[in-house]
Amino acid sequence: MLLPFYWVLKTAISNENIYAYPPRLLPESPHLFNFVDVWYFIPFPRYLLNSLIVSALVVVCNIALNAMAAYALSKSFPGRRAVLLLFLSCMLIPFQATIIPAYLITSKLGLLNSYLGLALPLLSTIVCIFVFKAAFEAVPQSLIDAARIDGLADRHIILRVLMPLSKAAIATNIVLAFIWSWNAFLWPLIITRDPNMQTLPLGLARFLSYLEDTTGALYAFAVMVLAPSIFVFLMAQKEFIRGLTSGATKG
Amino acid sequence: MIVPDWLNHRWVIVPLAMLTLVLAWNGYVAVNSGGKVEGQVVDAAGRPVADATVILLDRHFVMHNERQRTRTDSRGHFLFTGNDNHSLQLEAEAAGLGRSERRLVRLWFRAQNVRLAEPLQFAGRLP
Repeated sequence: MLLPFYWVLKTAISNENIYAYPPRLLPESPHLFNFVDVWYFIPFPRYLLNSLIVSALVVVCNIALNAMAAYALSKSFPGRRAVLLLFLSCMLIPFQATIIPAYLITSKLGLLNSYLGLALPLLSTIVCIFVFKAAFEAVPQSLIDAARIDGLADRHIILRVLMPLSKAAIATNIVLAFIWSWNAFLWPLIITRDPNMQTLPLGLARFLSYLEDTTGALYAFAVMVLAPSIFVFLMAQKEFIRGLTSGATKG
Repeated sequence: MIVPDWLNHRWVIVPLAMLTLVLAWNGYVAVNSGGKVEGQVVDAAGRPVADATVILLDRHFVMHNERQRTRTDSRGHFLFTGNDNHSLQLEAEAAGLGRSERRLVRLWFRAQNVRLAEPLQFAGRLP
């Protein structure tokens, strides 16, 4: 399973062609200068900053908005079932099908070429709402009732009772939201005009157009783009897996 | 000393360690980025070549373009200042000796001060 990652890393630290025959398992005269090339050939720090800002916005908004939506959906109210069905059916529609209205709305809001515009479609995601909903439903109702008797408002129940008990769901939200926003390509491609607002996946495409080869520097760029997502996943993997599996089984 | 619980958490320790590394690296870069490239030019017998022309070429994507020229002193030493690239090539030429091999010099950051460990060498010998 790790072989493709190893092959990308091996190509990044050597200048071997990825299609070289016969393939070598170990890199020949490894070095790290391809990473230096990537850092300087394109405005990598700028792309990195843009990606970090957009991902941070997406992660923070996902946690806040999804928790509120999940709290509402974990209560019973008229039309709750219809709302759940609507959310589930919305998941069937691919983003590519809604990209033109999304672009028009973003344009009307004056958010083209802005960080908020880049983050907008991912500020709340249905999958993550359901992850929070499963976590909130696992909290005993008596705990919420006790908090309400103590005089806590709904927002304080979410913040002080439910969120501390839903760390796995928070970690899952962080990992999923971060990876989706970090890897987003089509949406940033459509709404950014200014090269200074581009994110890392767009930078990768630009770099590919400059260096049309299958050797070191391109793979070094791929490693540098991948590294933060892998880092976030490794940091939160225990909670992430627990968050995804909680609510998967009954009893 | 009692360490607060929140400080003893991987989401604090790892980012702090990374921040420390980044700051240390930037400090190292700030101290060592003067743009100096220096070295020596010798003939096939290892004798210094005085008054040889040394050419510095810097890299732009797939091409190396000539950026500066300088001449060696009586001990065969040369010095370039104001380099702001991270990938260079150096070449020497002298009357009667032709051209030396072109040496690729990779730097860890732009304008890194560097002294060539091995001199640029001509294939021919001085008379």
